[in-house]
Amino acid sequence: MKRVFSPLGILSIVCLLLAMPLMVSAQAALPDDTTLVIGQSVDIASLEPSLVTSRQEANIFGHVFATLYEISEDGTLQPYLANSYSISEDGLEWTFTLNEGLTCQDGEALTAEDVAYTFQRAANPDNAFTGNTVGFVMPGVGYVDARADSELEVTIVMDERQSEPLRLGLLSEVYIHCKDSYEAMTLEEAATTPIGSGPYRVVEWVRDDYVLIEKVADFTLRESGFERIYWRVIPEASTRVAELIAGNVDIIANVPPDQIEAVNNSGTAEVQAVQGTRRMYVGFSQRDIWEGEGAEAIRNPAVRRALQYAVDVPTICQQLLGVECTRAASMVNDPNSNPNLTPYPYDPAEAERLLDEAGYPRGEDGWRFDITFQGPRGRYLNDAAVVQAIGQYLTDVGINVTVEILDWTSEYLPAVREHNVGPMFFLGTGGATWSALYDMTDIREPQGGTNYTEWNNADWFAGWERLANITDPAQEQEVINEMLQIMYDDSPWLFLYFQPDFYGVSNRINWQARRDEQVIVYNATLAE
Amino acid sequence: METQLEHSEKTQPPPVPVAIGRPPQASAWRRARHSLLRARWPIVAIIILLIATLFAVFGPQVSPKDPNRQNLMLRLTAPFTRDEAGAMDFPLGTDALGRDVLSRLIYGARVSLAVGVTAVVIGGFLGTSLGMMAGYFGGKIDDMIMRIADIQLAFPFILLTIMVLVVLGPGVVNLVLVLGIGQWVTYARIARGQTISHREKEYVEAARCIGARHWQIMFKSIFPNIVAPLIVIASFNVASVILAEASLSFLGLGVPPTVPTWGGMLAESRDQLLGGSWWLAVFPGLAIMLTVLALNILGDWVRDFLDPRLRGVGF
Amino acid sequence: MAKYLVRRLLQSVVVILGVTLLSFLTLHLAGDPTYLYVSERATQEEIDQTRALLGFDRPLPEQYLRFVVRLAQGDMGNSLRARTPALPLVMERLPATLELTIFAMVISTLLAIPIGIISAVNRGTALDGGVMLFAMFGQSVPSFWLGIMLILFVGLSLRWLPISGQVPVLVPLLQGDLMTAAENFPQAFRHLILPGLTIGVFSLSRNARLVRSSMLEVLAQDYVVTARSKGLRERTVILRHALRNALIPVITMIGLEFGFLLSGVVVAETVFSWPGVGRLVFNAITQRDIPLVQAAVVTFSFIFVLLNLLIDLLYVQLDPRVQLK
Repeated sequence: MKRVFSPLGILSIVCLLLAMPLMVSAQAALPDDTTLVIGQSVDIASLEPSLVTSRQEANIFGHVFATLYEISEDGTLQPYLANSYSISEDGLEWTFTLNEGLTCQDGEALTAEDVAYTFQRAANPDNAFTGNTVGFVMPGVGYVDARADSELEVTIVMDERQSEPLRLGLLSEVYIHCKDSYEAMTLEEAATTPIGSGPYRVVEWVRDDYVLIEKVADFTLRESGFERIYWRVIPEASTRVAELIAGNVDIIANVPPDQIEAVNNSGTAEVQAVQGTRRMYVGFSQRDIWEGEGAEAIRNPAVRRALQYAVDVPTICQQLLGVECTRAASMVNDPNSNPNLTPYPYDPAEAERLLDEAGYPRGEDGWRFDITFQGPRGRYLNDAAVVQAIGQYLTDVGINVTVEILDWTSEYLPAVREHNVGPMFFLGTGGATWSALYDMTDIREPQGGTNYTEWNNADWFAGWERLANITDPAQEQEVINEMLQIMYDDSPWLFLYFQPDFYGVSNRINWQARRDEQVIVYNATLAE
Repeated sequence: METQLEHSEKTQPPPVPVAIGRPPQASAWRRARHSLLRARWPIVAIIILLIATLFAVFGPQVSPKDPNRQNLMLRLTAPFTRDEAGAMDFPLGTDALGRDVLSRLIYGARVSLAVGVTAVVIGGFLGTSLGMMAGYFGGKIDDMIMRIADIQLAFPFILLTIMVLVVLGPGVVNLVLVLGIGQWVTYARIARGQTISHREKEYVEAARCIGARHWQIMFKSIFPNIVAPLIVIASFNVASVILAEASLSFLGLGVPPTVPTWGGMLAESRDQLLGGSWWLAVFPGLAIMLTVLALNILGDWVRDFLDPRLRGVGF
Repeated sequence: MAKYLVRRLLQSVVVILGVTLLSFLTLHLAGDPTYLYVSERATQEEIDQTRALLGFDRPLPEQYLRFVVRLAQGDMGNSLRARTPALPLVMERLPATLELTIFAMVISTLLAIPIGIISAVNRGTALDGGVMLFAMFGQSVPSFWLGIMLILFVGLSLRWLPISGQVPVLVPLLQGDLMTAAENFPQAFRHLILPGLTIGVFSLSRNARLVRSSMLEVLAQDYVVTARSKGLRERTVILRHALRNALIPVITMIGLEFGFLLSGVVVAETVFSWPGVGRLVFNAITQRDIPLVQAAVVTFSFIFVLLNLLIDLLYVQLDPRVQLK
């Protein structure tokens, strides 16, 4: 058979065509000196400030919109749009005084009327908002109404007295926007063309690709570094890390622990590990829907206490999270926790002794009791691995654990919301450094939404009663300490750790990661 | 979807049944043996599949360790590492939780193959039955079944899979069911076409005359004569289901991580790749590749052997 | 012809409605998705309120009927997450996905044809063996894995091609902005290669094998033998006579290919941060953004139906023996 050259010819031409772009420009354009690029795992859903629900959204909105007060880098509350506030005698009316000469990004003056409007617009049922402001802040502070008292004074009315930092911190999550501009827009328009009040304005949003924001020249409340910030959406962790190492992205969150070394060895970027505020724990569900020996066993505080000794938290941190960690001794972040509490040590022998004592000796088959332990995947740092590791430790002290790992969005989250995870379950809830009560609000009522274990300890809830009538911070801390001691002893949670966060940061820039999972970058600068 | 490819029937004689009536068993076997010995690759493929099947069946007996036993202090041990005593405790290394990769591979064969085979059996059974019904009865039944097939074809399969797994939750049973149901259209279309061409054959007429029931005619008379192309499709399909399982694991919709599967191991390994733990990706990757390769080679051979005219069916 | 087209279109409407019903039922299988729309600390009262707002408190048949009635009016409803009309969200992302699928289809057919022919013509040689072995491997690699490997080696280690992201070329083209389209083209092309390969390699391998085997079959047929014996050049025989017939099974494949490529798209768009419909609809499914999922599903099935109609018409061109009925 004769050789045929034609197909070969076609093939080589196609290959040549494919290779051409390789030769044309071997290097992709790296970000220039006035541009900062951040890689996030998910896109924003909307540019409507009253629809913000996720951390990634809040990161972008925090640059486009300003708030009354803000939570600063060191975790304290600082004035921002407002310069001060006062509280009425009964604690129900909070009056904020705004700075002078504020404007929104369309040039409209930002006054007390606009702040009141922000709250009223968010609360308006016709708008059907489901974001943090309506879903979390307003019920959290007991919002009733807002009114403008004068040009610069705005009063927010609440339905009961509440701890000062807690309320101020919550109110600091409301993104203020201007009345005239937002009244002129339909909800659909507002969802795509925001008119901000912060140091950056939105230039372009290409869905699932990036949000580009640029510096507002006449914003005076703070000094910003980069002219433009790209918030790129890069869902796959390996791709994010590859882009960071290649120098195309400056900051990424959630570097997988096993890739930290690769980033640090790259010469182009380094990983910053920060002690986060999210409290990771194993919950012992007290609900009576659970049947079986295991569910019965963990209704006994002695068993729960025993299990505190069974899990080697420091090793889990070191091996699976890639960082040394201090084990949590309470549900409250430092520096607000009870300083006298020491974390339970890893002591499997002690765990076994206490379990024997509590009436659950090993049976002939080596098991003390059977129990199901549920955990999510795809939500927390290395969650599936941590859950499986905890399962192994519990197995080692003679508990016949069935580990069930469920997908976060489709399975775990709905079950968590219904308090249907358990009898043992793995969870982490966001915390704060500016108020112990913020952290403790998780267990505010026996059947409350976030009291996922439905722990119902009379002494603990009596503590909340007492707190309602205390205004003195020192006295408040005293009650808090007592309550944390009760929780430590009764152990509705198996305390694990405060989740560390890993940020990959390019050597091109100077930037310091924060503890509270917020990525705030207006203060980032180009490295020398 | 309505156009009939009439040319195939005009240019070539309609596909003759592989064997009219039943071929003498011995000669078929001999033919198979000869054909196999001539071509070397199918033998290699059969050996590979045999090993995988042995692992799958005798997993607990041959696995050196408990595949879920963790040891955090020994995590990410490289393969072929010897401890102080000179023993090679983890021949293929350990994973991110310090579990034995070799044992997980062996147990993984079990789930991966079971998922592949079961899904294909479900899809094949469903599709063949419906396709034969459509072809045999024709008329309204045919119209209805083929319309459903059109709907399924127009619905990107991956979206349906994701929807079912997201809504019902990922798990072995849901995975097998949805991957199986996703396959039925292919079988149905082929079974229908073949049944139509056999419906009016003499042996079917004969069966009808002696008063056989519809289902008897379908399954006893027609089915043996149309099974060849279905088997070819099935062997390719097992391969594609194994790949689909891997992709779904990547999207977080595979089998839960407490159950070792090859796809799941491969998907988990991506966090360790940049860190240099190559063995976590290479071994399950090789297992998947070899198995899929073997199934494809075998599929090719079965097709050529049973009926060379079926070339172009499947992949 | 016109009658045929009308009937086909009517059938398509039934098919598309069936598809929407199927996805509606699937998405509602596990109860209502209100939880995904309230904050972590929402109270029961707020959850109930939100449920009513989203319309999930109504009976399922009512919810579906409302959907169909609005669909007939050309209204797909608003995305629950984005709060803007669902269909434009899909349309906005469609060009990126089309770029990717068309590119993948082009490499998987254009490359497959010469490769298959070369293999067939050189049957039994080392070249043939090598190509076919490669094709076998191409059909055995999970696509996400191939994608990550390409990123790590071609993107990161060699720095030959961009790691992730997309540069639009179809959008400016459709808007009539030829300058931008031309300017973007080289970068756009560079960004397409890795994700395109990730999706296309499987089909490329399959099609190459398909072309090879159907070529071999055609080459053995009488008319080819006749053509050869007439003393025609081998080249002419193959390109003029054999190829035309060898392509028919490949074209059949392309029709089914679209749905198949789409499954690759979801994975490749995730790995390569490609802002396309695949990821949009994947996220919409996980968040149970039902109107958005429906809009995407309707779009996909519409494209699928249209594509198959085109392919059937193409048959008529390629093979005069095929008749429309």
